[in-house]
Amino acid sequence: MQHTLNITTRNEASVVERLLQVTRYRGYQLAGLAMTPLTDRAGLQITLTVQSEKPITLLTSQLVKLYDVQQLELASADVAVLRA
Amino acid sequence: MKGAELVLKVLQQQGVDTIFGYPGGAIMPIYDAIYHSTVKHYLCRHEQGGAFSAIGYARASGKVGVCLATSGPGATNLITSLADALLDSVPLVAITGQVSQAVMGTDAFQEVDVLGLSLGVTKHSFMVRDVNELAHTLQEAFRLAESGRPGPVLVDIPKDIQLAEVSEPEWPTLPTARLATSLANAAKARQLIAQAKKPIAYIGGGVQMADALPQLQAFLAESEMPSVTTLKGMGSVARANPHYLGMLGMHGTQAANLAVQQADLLICLGARFDDRVTGKLDKFAPHAKVIHVDIDPAEINKVRFADCALLGDMKQILPAISTATQCADWLAHCQQLKQQYGWRYDHPGERIFAPLMLKQLSERMPDNSVVCCDVGQHQMWVAQHMRFNSPRNHLSSGGLGTMGFGLPAAIGAKLARPQDTVIAVSGDGSFMMNVQELGTIKRFRLPVKIVIIDNQRLGMVKQWQQLFFNERYSETDLSDNPDFVALAAAFAIPGHTITRKDEVASALEAMFSWPGPYLLHVRIDEKDNVWPLVPPGAANEDMLTETN
Repeated sequence: MQHTLNITTRNEASVVERLLQVTRYRGYQLAGLAMTPLTDRAGLQITLTVQSEKPITLLTSQLVKLYDVQQLELASADVAVLRA
Repeated sequence: MKGAELVLKVLQQQGVDTIFGYPGGAIMPIYDAIYHSTVKHYLCRHEQGGAFSAIGYARASGKVGVCLATSGPGATNLITSLADALLDSVPLVAITGQVSQAVMGTDAFQEVDVLGLSLGVTKHSFMVRDVNELAHTLQEAFRLAESGRPGPVLVDIPKDIQLAEVSEPEWPTLPTARLATSLANAAKARQLIAQAKKPIAYIGGGVQMADALPQLQAFLAESEMPSVTTLKGMGSVARANPHYLGMLGMHGTQAANLAVQQADLLICLGARFDDRVTGKLDKFAPHAKVIHVDIDPAEINKVRFADCALLGDMKQILPAISTATQCADWLAHCQQLKQQYGWRYDHPGERIFAPLMLKQLSERMPDNSVVCCDVGQHQMWVAQHMRFNSPRNHLSSGGLGTMGFGLPAAIGAKLARPQDTVIAVSGDGSFMMNVQELGTIKRFRLPVKIVIIDNQRLGMVKQWQQLFFNERYSETDLSDNPDFVALAAAFAIPGHTITRKDEVASALEAMFSWPGPYLLHVRIDEKDNVWPLVPPGAANEDMLTETN
């Protein structure tokens, strides 16, 4: 099953690596990645698409723990804000 | 002042008076600042040893442990310790020197991408690129290491940042991370507990880390029920509690495992359903509903579905879910299991039986002693046969299972709690993994007691080879071990070897009455194994014992 996550992060050099490391380690396959600096360049807007048969909450609960992640939304039919 | 001096200022401002480390080229400015600092640095003999000492210090004291290493090999030597701290949720700040920014990315001498290496083994890692951000970054590292679910944080500081001039910043007080606690499910939890016929508390390291041991005793008194602990939870339940059944899991007590398998309600407190605890997951506590209390939302439903979850501060949650139980028959049944499957210490022959020796050690050691283990058979025997009155007194590498943990952790524990007796219980395999730390014990004249349980084998691996690999003993023979007493003597540490049961009591007496460090070398039969054992892939009620 495919899921798309809209993630707002600090604009830190290692932030994409961190997201991808957690995604790989927790067993989710990367299906898409896009990144745009926010207008003030202090943050990044990252769209991460992953594929897995596992519940997506097992990934989102790990990603929201990352220090650099400020907000994470699941962009599926039933959009849920997991952390404001 | 220079950035390096500012590092020491921040450590002092954070209340740090003890650090562990090993110098090298890219961290020399910080070591130069240490030269005049009041922060006491303990030179270890390997960066891994230094980091394990910092972990031992943190686990024995509840404070943040701090370790230092240089770039390149110094930093890579920290990786195992960082992973250990991550898996056991230990607050640790690791500071590494890095090559100067001008040469970063050029494969400079002793340059390694430690930030990249740290991603999977830290709670977070920082690279300081501007000396004006140095103080804030270090403060943030401390805040992060001890807030929420604690863990290791790495701060990589390039040499030019250490050498850069910076004015002493004002010291803004960072907001204390507020622990959001939700009691919305407390009523549901109380209802589940009140309705349960066979409730059981499954207690992990998170209870003590939340400083909630008094609340736990009160909960177990009001919600009278049997309890079991994980390896990290050992010592959480008061010794006087009659319903404590011991450790559960692969080498847990039969009473603990059978009770959990029969329970209709499992109250998981600060634990995470580790595979060494659950055995075959879909057969673990098959009849039980689950109440899961934790500080980390990611643990809820990660492994086992929770019928009721409560997140946040255990100190608030435990009183909120306390309620009277109606399970006298269940308590009596568990008591009967406890008696039926109690440990037996009768062992034929004159040779030392490690479980009995450890029971004697446990009875002889002063109250509030800290026991630091390595990993393997001796570690499980310690968990089974020694009693502790706090998880801070039983330091064992749980999640990562790191051989070489015990000796350096004991050094850290002794420095954290100089008034308490500290005992490193090791195996002959594990001891050799960080044996160089005998040099640290010698240098600082640390009166650490060392007990090596020597079966001249990598005992736990050999046990599995015997049971599950048709006795093909591949690379587990250590019969060419060094003379451990002579080895200790080379570090001016006295020692003694014993081989017979009748020598144990007097040997323990001699060890404890010696004022300084001491090594007791205990030879045991290589045929002795750890029982019971839940075979891999089996349910926890399918325990192998010595007789089956």
